[in-house]
Amino acid sequence: MIDRAHVGFTTAPSTVTVDAFRVRLFCRATGETDAAYVDEAAARAVGHPRCPVPTTYLKVLENEHFNAASVLQHLGVPLRGVLHGEQSFDVRTPVRVGDEVEIERRIVDIADKKNGALTVITLDTRFRLRGADAATSRQTIVVRNTLAAT
Amino acid sequence: MRVWPDELVLDAGPITAVELALFAAASGDHNPLHLDESVARAAGFERPIVHGMLTMAHVSRLVAGRFGAARVRTLETRFTGVLLRGDGLRVEGTLVEVERDGCACYRLRAAATSDGHEIAVGLARIAPTPAA
Repeated sequence: MIDRAHVGFTTAPSTVTVDAFRVRLFCRATGETDAAYVDEAAARAVGHPRCPVPTTYLKVLENEHFNAASVLQHLGVPLRGVLHGEQSFDVRTPVRVGDEVEIERRIVDIADKKNGALTVITLDTRFRLRGADAATSRQTIVVRNTLAAT
Repeated sequence: MRVWPDELVLDAGPITAVELALFAAASGDHNPLHLDESVARAAGFERPIVHGMLTMAHVSRLVAGRFGAARVRTLETRFTGVLLRGDGLRVEGTLVEVERDGCACYRLRAAATSDGHEIAVGLARIAPTPAA
């Protein structure tokens, strides 16, 4: 049983710099071949001042800030038996290579499903650029309690 | 007047152990469930499983690859199945509607190449022009 008192837990904001090499490695790992993410001239040719990051790269930035393993450690839940349930991103302002992104994560819900066989943890993340909201994400982590207990 | 394609499709994989290791390094998700045989078996899987976020990266490529970087406003997925290492993905998008602000909504589905079982479903909202 995860203590519901953790709902509302918010990380101390930290700033993560978007690193060109890491974006290149991410593109390599995900089969991404669009040069706009890694080559500034290619990015400018399609109207970007600097290379944007792929949408799901926001997850890399939030992992750098406080990843799911840290969340689970905070909650005292073993990583074993845990699955990723849902993931969403809403982007207002594109994040680009070289940006300094201020990130904060919050546990917004902890709920039992299927008569307690599963516990679903919902986390929201705020990404801010130059003091303004740029993007948000939401993740659910599914804890399979039978596996977590063994 | 912009014309949105009705259907999008992308094939990825098969996803190898090397790709899972690369993704673990690139993403910072080092959960051994994706890398270690014995950990995967203890969790009830025949082989290590593909990171949900790697599946989602391919889902993202389906739309970003077609419409260009920085036009994806919303990307949502629900992971409904498990993809085992060595399997591939077919990702499909279907145009649902064009909203009043000009954004197009696509319904998304990713399925395993091996037997077609569903891995993820979702939604993307694509802007008519790249965000500034």
